Amino acid sequence: MQSLTRLNHYFIRYWRLYVPGLIFTIISAIFAIAVPVVVRQAIDSIPRFATLYSQFEATALQHSLYWNFFWTLLIFALIIIGLSLASGLFTFLMRQTVVVASRHIEFDLRNTLYEHLQKLSTRFYNHIKTGDVITRATSDIEQVRRYIGPAIMYSTRALVIVIASITAMLIISPTLTLYALMPLSLLAAAIFIVAQLVHKRSEALQRQYAQLTSRVQETLAGIRLVKAYAREETETQAFENESRIYKLRMLGLARVEAAWRPVFLIVVGLSEVMVVWVGGRLVAEGLITIGNIAEYIIYVALMTWPVAAFGLVISMMQRASASAERIYEILDHVPDISDDDRSNHSIMKINGHVRFERVSFRYEDDLPLALQNITFTLPAGQSLAIVGRTGSGKTTLIDLLSRLYEPSEGRIIIDGKDIKTLPLSVLREAVGYVPQDVFLFSDSIGNNIAFGTVGASKEDIHQSAHEAELLETVLEFPLGLNSEVGERGVSLSGGQAQRTTIARALIRKPRILVLDDALSSVDTKTENRILEHLRKRQGHHTMILISHRISSIKGADQIIVLDQGQIAEQGTHLSLMKLDGLYAQMYQRQLLKERLESFN
Amino acid sequence: MSAQKGLDRKLLRRIIGYLMPYKHWVFLAFCLVLIVSFLGPLRPWLIGLAIDRHIVSGELDGLSLLIYALLAAIALEGVLGYANAYFTQWIGQQAIYDVRVRVFNHVQKQSLSFFDRTPIGRLITRTTSDVEALSDVLSAGVVVILGDLFKLVFIAAFMFSLNWVLAIVTLCVMPFMLMVTMWFKRNVRGQYRETRKQVARLNSFMQEHVTGMLIVQLFGREKVEMKRFEKINDDHQTAQLKTVFYHSLFWPAVDIIASIAIGFILWAGGVSAIGGALTVGVLIAFIQYCRQFFEPIRNLSDQFNTLQSAMAGAERIFDVIDNDQSLPESGKLQPPERFDGEIIFEEVWFAYKNLDDGTPDWVLRGVSFKISKGQNAAIVGATGSGKTTIISLLMRFYDIQKGRILIDGQDIRSMKIKYLRWRIGLVLQDVFLFSGSIFRNIALDNSEITIEQIIDAAKSIGADHFIEQLPGRYHHEVRERGVSLSQGQRQLLSFIRVLAYDPDILVLDEATSSIDTETEHMIQRALERVLQGRTSLVVAHRLSTIRHADTILVLHKGALHEQGTHNELVNAGGLYHTLYELQYLEQEQIVEMPQ
Repeated sequence: MQSLTRLNHYFIRYWRLYVPGLIFTIISAIFAIAVPVVVRQAIDSIPRFATLYSQFEATALQHSLYWNFFWTLLIFALIIIGLSLASGLFTFLMRQTVVVASRHIEFDLRNTLYEHLQKLSTRFYNHIKTGDVITRATSDIEQVRRYIGPAIMYSTRALVIVIASITAMLIISPTLTLYALMPLSLLAAAIFIVAQLVHKRSEALQRQYAQLTSRVQETLAGIRLVKAYAREETETQAFENESRIYKLRMLGLARVEAAWRPVFLIVVGLSEVMVVWVGGRLVAEGLITIGNIAEYIIYVALMTWPVAAFGLVISMMQRASASAERIYEILDHVPDISDDDRSNHSIMKINGHVRFERVSFRYEDDLPLALQNITFTLPAGQSLAIVGRTGSGKTTLIDLLSRLYEPSEGRIIIDGKDIKTLPLSVLREAVGYVPQDVFLFSDSIGNNIAFGTVGASKEDIHQSAHEAELLETVLEFPLGLNSEVGERGVSLSGGQAQRTTIARALIRKPRILVLDDALSSVDTKTENRILEHLRKRQGHHTMILISHRISSIKGADQIIVLDQGQIAEQGTHLSLMKLDGLYAQMYQRQLLKERLESFN
Repeated sequence: MSAQKGLDRKLLRRIIGYLMPYKHWVFLAFCLVLIVSFLGPLRPWLIGLAIDRHIVSGELDGLSLLIYALLAAIALEGVLGYANAYFTQWIGQQAIYDVRVRVFNHVQKQSLSFFDRTPIGRLITRTTSDVEALSDVLSAGVVVILGDLFKLVFIAAFMFSLNWVLAIVTLCVMPFMLMVTMWFKRNVRGQYRETRKQVARLNSFMQEHVTGMLIVQLFGREKVEMKRFEKINDDHQTAQLKTVFYHSLFWPAVDIIASIAIGFILWAGGVSAIGGALTVGVLIAFIQYCRQFFEPIRNLSDQFNTLQSAMAGAERIFDVIDNDQSLPESGKLQPPERFDGEIIFEEVWFAYKNLDDGTPDWVLRGVSFKISKGQNAAIVGATGSGKTTIISLLMRFYDIQKGRILIDGQDIRSMKIKYLRWRIGLVLQDVFLFSGSIFRNIALDNSEITIEQIIDAAKSIGADHFIEQLPGRYHHEVRERGVSLSQGQRQLLSFIRVLAYDPDILVLDEATSSIDTETEHMIQRALERVLQGRTSLVVAHRLSTIRHADTILVLHKGALHEQGTHNELVNAGGLYHTLYELQYLEQEQIVEMPQ
């Protein structure tokens, strides 16, 4: 329950809705509680009038007495209707304040969560499943809302009704009240036990739901592979298994939840029996009236739903607290990379002078170093090419430059300042990064390109699409730049999607352009044209390029050869050739191939 | 209105159809609920009897007997109520399980063109939360609705047996109750649909942005995306608030109508009691009935509520199920042990979609070629010329509009899709990793593939080296998006997979292109051996790959321009020659480019 108290500041934020809401709740409950009193008076008036009526048997007065009684009862009826109208009006107002407030809080909470998700670093996302995050942002928030809205509303109303009813009952007969309420005291213990069980089981259910969701998500994201290897049946089996576990969890929960209603039924039923039994004796002794029995029965009935609501509220709160815990697990996760007191906010622009000073990095404490003792200087406007085997740390190196991770040791210096002192937004603004993995949003091609910069004009989009050698291809599409791409950009070919991501980076006019194997799906001809465009920009930006094609690397001002996380060789194409090491070997091999290909 | 109602009933009947396999159990639950519905109305009747016979007259002797009867009724109602509640859940969850698996299988079965168009987030919503909404109807819904209806009948019967005048007074209020409920139903229905749509939008956005968070962050788009999220969140809230409004109006209205009934009973009952036509006990019983009577109606409309949301969810689920775009599976052909591997494309025309004017947007225009058994074929052509499409068509990810594709002389449409894909090994350019171990990612849960086979395959291409270095080696857990493995390493995994699966036909989609020279060398070596004795189809723009090919297919704007060996094509001096010269000359140019 502790996680729920953390939500309190939201109630304070919406006190303008909650305070009147609570007042409306109380008013509506009081009107509701007044109904039985009127009913009792009406019923008690019947024997009185009946006696009177028979006394005036066959007199003229009897007729007027009948009409007197007729009107009196009508007035009682109208009072009952009037009271319930008033109660209804305030119930309406109560819902319109409390439930509306809960929707506002849900809205705020969702925004807060998403905003926080945007701040969390890559390391966080490496550790959590996408489906899990989505579950927390959707169904967990819904559970919390049920606590914030309906639960609070019901419990307040229930509390008011129970207290008011008991007070009214005590005034009539403490003995009868004691007997009528005796079974109700059992309810507290029963609720507690059932609620505990519900809590545990609903948690297991939620976990399984998340599991089920990520299972579906994964299969669908990898559908091409599933189909290519005809793995539909195994995927189905796995899904069936998850569904089966989900069903079992659901039934486990149902076993305890099915107890709610019978427990209340028995308790309330016992109360009724007590009222008739004990109340019957009291009527016989002349201590209370028949009308009181009717009144008590209505009170007990009136309390049925509120007491049941207590049970529901507890179950809601149990679920909500479990959900809130999961939400706060994310919200409490402090972004490990963000602006802090070291950041110097007077830095507005970056020129692009990059320096790595003895940088080492490991992904996890128990994993070997991914980068070891990397040192290099890249003056602004120059280009750096990084080559090396698969897994030699090329991508890691540039991830560090974009500050997706922090170096474990050493410093990264941009324009003479430690990267940690640069405001994150300034750093990222300056970097145009084209990652290896193509990710496009399900939006139009134009919007995907415009994603690179805020307020991009049509000309900007055209220009960068042109530079990425995309414009011509896209303009052949019926909708041109307005053509939609599928969720993972499926309707585009690999090369087209890749060029879209290049255009997206170029539109930023970045000070530092980073291409991580970004031309791999593009044919040589197109690649050369793109490189040609980039060369025109030379001097305007610093460029870091990872590639496996010597042809695109050769022209770089500086080349680094990475091997198992360390710089094996460093220099220009010429100096590395002279060194006659790894790079020269690589080059020779490619050259040989090209020769072989060109001769026959 | 009536048309919509008809639709509702059809939809409902279809939902209930999922309960048919459990009809015996449903019948049992039905009997239970019948007894429970009778026990509820019995109580006021007994209480009324107790008041009239014993309390009013003061003869308390027989009271205990009635009290015992009351206690027995309560106990029985409690026990049977519990059994019934659990039982209906049990039935419902069985049915829900069936629906969920059915939806999942249906979605999975769809052809790739379906996935090209449908966002994954939407499909996830269908298999999870939409099914969840349906579960409320299937589990409690049907039986509870019937139970409530019975309760109404029993209450009415008891009321008429006690006093027909008051019974009619109570029933007079009924039409108002129904009217309010109908009004509510009409308004809330559309609102629920809107709400679900907004929820799906919200989920889609979340799904996409959590998946692409790296891009959002790298491009510093947090503020803009936050604004977009707020807008979607706001639309969602607006939809929800409208629903809240109808609820706020409905529930008090129901209470007020119930109170009107009580008021009139007191009035009419009191007036007739004065002449001795009615006893106080009956009046008290009626006040209880009045409350009991409206409870099932209220429950029913509450059920309508869940029914509404379930219907909206069901409609969406059925939309998916009814829109079957899976490929027709004839599979009459008895599959041979293995394919020989002769591939023939006969005048193949194919379009992914239609143009705005309804004519097909042709990607392939009458492509014909033949690859003989054991031949290695390379497909070349500019980007977007339809190379990848040919592979997708051979795998039958899509069905062609015109022409035929034959393997060993048999149309692929006459083969079992599963068998076809089983015998063709595909290496994709976009390597997807599942969460799970390296082993799982290679074997894809195929129990026929052993770890030894995988280790052998890895060794044969020299990829065991990097796997051995991972913690847990072949059991190393790959993170969801495979962050801890590089692109090249992932491609190595897909090569190990294709080796382990040992297909008859090998299909490669630009796979070698993004691997560094070292790895490429490694794979090239392995491939040469793998290609031996297998028919293969390789999409590549690397001369190194295509030069080894026995036959080269030159695609141009969706048509097969030329086919032949490298030498033949170069000598022919056609498109290939130009393409070749262009690539060759450009490579030469870069090599000699001044520093």
